[in-house]
Amino acid sequence: MKRQIPLALVFIFGIFHIFQYFVPHESSEWLYEFFLKWIYIIGIFALALGIWSLIRVSWDKVKHRRPNWPYALITLGGLFAMIIFGFDYFRHFFTAEGLQNYMFRAFFDYILIPIQSTMFSLLAFFIASAAYRAFRARSLLATLLLLSALIIMLRFNPYLGFFGDYMEKTASWLLNVPNLAAKRAIIIGVGLGMVATSLKVMLGIERQYLGKD
Amino acid sequence: MANSKRISAIILIIVIATFLLSWIIKAFNLEGSPNNTGLWFSIRDAFFITIAAFLTLAIFSFLYKDNPYYKFAEHLFVGISAAYWMCVGFWSTLIGNLVPNISSSLSTFFRVPYKGLHFTYFVPLILGIILLMRLSSKRGWISRWALAWIVGTTSGLNLIRYLRTDFISQVSNTFIPLLVDWKGVGPFFSHFSLSSTGQFAMTLSNWVIFIGVFCGLIYFFFSKEHKGIFGTASRVGIWVLMITFGASFGYTVMGRVSLLVGRLTYLFRDWLGLIS
Amino acid sequence: MKLKILSIFCSLLLGIVPLAIAQENADTASVDSTAVASPAPVSQLTAVDTDNDHGHSISLKWEPSPDDGAGLKSVIGYEVYRAESPGGPFVIRAALPSGASSHIDVGAKEKESGDYMADYTDYYYKVRAITADSLVYSDSDVFGPVQCYGQWFNTGRIPVLVFVIGFMCTTILLIQKAKSGAKLFVRRLAGIEAVDEAIGRATEMGKPILYVLGLGTAADIATIASYTILGRVAKKVAEYQTRLIVPCYDPITMTVAQETVKTAYADAGRPDDYNEDMVYFVTQSQFAYVAAVNGTMLRERPATNIYMGLFYAESLILAETGALAGSIQISGTDQIAQIPFFIVACDYTLIGEELYAASAYLGREPLLLGSLKAQDYAKAAFIVLAVIGFLTINFGIDWFKQLFYISN
Repeated sequence: MKRQIPLALVFIFGIFHIFQYFVPHESSEWLYEFFLKWIYIIGIFALALGIWSLIRVSWDKVKHRRPNWPYALITLGGLFAMIIFGFDYFRHFFTAEGLQNYMFRAFFDYILIPIQSTMFSLLAFFIASAAYRAFRARSLLATLLLLSALIIMLRFNPYLGFFGDYMEKTASWLLNVPNLAAKRAIIIGVGLGMVATSLKVMLGIERQYLGKD
Repeated sequence: MANSKRISAIILIIVIATFLLSWIIKAFNLEGSPNNTGLWFSIRDAFFITIAAFLTLAIFSFLYKDNPYYKFAEHLFVGISAAYWMCVGFWSTLIGNLVPNISSSLSTFFRVPYKGLHFTYFVPLILGIILLMRLSSKRGWISRWALAWIVGTTSGLNLIRYLRTDFISQVSNTFIPLLVDWKGVGPFFSHFSLSSTGQFAMTLSNWVIFIGVFCGLIYFFFSKEHKGIFGTASRVGIWVLMITFGASFGYTVMGRVSLLVGRLTYLFRDWLGLIS
Repeated sequence: MKLKILSIFCSLLLGIVPLAIAQENADTASVDSTAVASPAPVSQLTAVDTDNDHGHSISLKWEPSPDDGAGLKSVIGYEVYRAESPGGPFVIRAALPSGASSHIDVGAKEKESGDYMADYTDYYYKVRAITADSLVYSDSDVFGPVQCYGQWFNTGRIPVLVFVIGFMCTTILLIQKAKSGAKLFVRRLAGIEAVDEAIGRATEMGKPILYVLGLGTAADIATIASYTILGRVAKKVAEYQTRLIVPCYDPITMTVAQETVKTAYADAGRPDDYNEDMVYFVTQSQFAYVAAVNGTMLRERPATNIYMGLFYAESLILAETGALAGSIQISGTDQIAQIPFFIVACDYTLIGEELYAASAYLGREPLLLGSLKAQDYAKAAFIVLAVIGFLTINFGIDWFKQLFYISN
């Protein structure tokens, strides 16, 4: 019973959305738009579960003085400070102006964005280290990977002189022909895999996500 | 051990002193700027710019090794980002979307315009509360109903979406001529050209696409052993895949480097003021 | 004397009057030569409800005016007018260039909108052929009444329906075949075979295993495929009594992952070893999550990192950090853009569809193997259709390609 009803619900809603695709009538479209809106609303409730987990894990670290426990205090401090600013407690209790609170925006602009951008920029270093480690042409496959990467990287190099034009044409052909072919093969495989997995979920064959009774 | 603690303490003092100094200098530099609105604002803005620069360098320090500055930045980032998305989700979705459709008194309390009572909005509210029952060890099983709703909906949507875009559309897009503008052997040789838009190059490209897709799909065959001709085709498939992956890798290198340029610009321009 | 004057007067009269008359005629003749006649109107105007839509739309067709783009009466465009009664008032709905012979009049479905077009309401249309002179135009006959309404079946999506039914039937048939005891072969997946070895290595070294489910939501297909692999890994980990760390990006994914791991520990006969803090939520911000997982990798020093699911730009950061930390790395994603980075940085990578095949490979259950076989049949069908398509295109046969056309 505890698993049968969810499995039935999965099947019913899955089949409904498949049928909905073939029914252009307004009522079907209305239901589809509502279902999508509902997913966003439910997602926010789920976020509360996540925040609870984060607080519990961090507090547990502090309470039992696990390694690096002072940093868990920083996590909790940042979390609660942002919540207070976000709800604009000191000025208007519970007001939508919370998101316009100066400190909330300052934390976003001067803490969140810089760290996020810096983490993203680490990719420049990591791509270089990955290339250094991987491009050693130890096998035919690695050689093919290396050669095609080199051709694409060098295509706009102004110092190649006579070869520059041929490099650019080769790179363009590589991107438009074998690249297209392989991507199409992967896309078809992935698409079929997704369709098959969706079907397995709807038919109740794939039910790991429900856990056990 | 005592030595390393002493070194860490000295480094900490140097870092604090450096950034304090940078804050003071920045505050006075901002004071003289055209859009300045007073000393207090200069001090406040300079503080935040200095904090942003400190956190940027703390994250970069990760490239050397894990250290307390990176740990500080990481844990602060986790806490603040989790709360940020919670606040945004609460105000934009719950208060912006749900409350105006279920309660006029709550709409007044939260100062959002009431849109009238829509009973359909009670469904996600109930499903959301059911999801929260996960926290209860006795009643937690009921949260599967909300999960089933989400999983069922997305499975149905995904099945159709991916069948259409990743299979049917790909089938019809693969219908390309294997002999482009073919008018017979004579005209082919008399008008032979290696130009990329020429008949020969386009025919060759179409054959490469045909063989590439064919062999790539064979590589992804799971229910037949890759032996003999099948194995050869599968090997050609993985070669084509590797060429693609190399091309993708090379394509993204410059994009990633430009991200670093952006961050360095912030440090040298907004923080240190060394470039305009 | 009187006779002389009379004759002079008559001659004058005979001379001037014709001249005057001639002048008058000449003036009249010049007025006639500058007036422009109206152009010929459009003909055969028809209007019908637009097919395969949700209503609020009418499709019009007409024969363009014979004066379209020709001569003094040159038609430079058309205007479509609509009214709710044959006598009007008519409201302009569209202005079209010369040469136009059709138009779809789409209205809003919301009553509050100024452009609302009600279903099951009579509408009347006329098309006006316009010239460069705004005062010179001609209207077609009024066509109507015509009503718009939504359809209950989109015939333009029949190819999708055919494939959905075909795939479902193939899957169900092959599952039945697998259930009846038929042996279904699955080729070796190096990445999945390495999982057992990697778990053994972690146990020997006394180090934990890090499992990253990716940045997908609980309902993403890649994440669902990852749960199955997580279940197998967790069961093995429980048997070997190794530590498992599962940092989660999405809170619902976290709840499902907790259920999966708890079930796996119970299946392995070690329910008491399960600790809910093994599977924890980090944050729903992409790079904050990456920063936290990187920190975990460098501090906990897991022997094995397993990345299975939906990944974006952070894939390289995770994989490289893991490589620098000296972990064995096994990855699998369906994101084509991230596969090259995993291939370069990880020891084993499941490419695209291999991630979905992994669940069938691990469990060898008939139901899952049957579904995998159906995927292979679909790929074989693709190859056959592609070959037919190549041949038909080469021989100039277009109808075969049209079979796959899907309208919106």
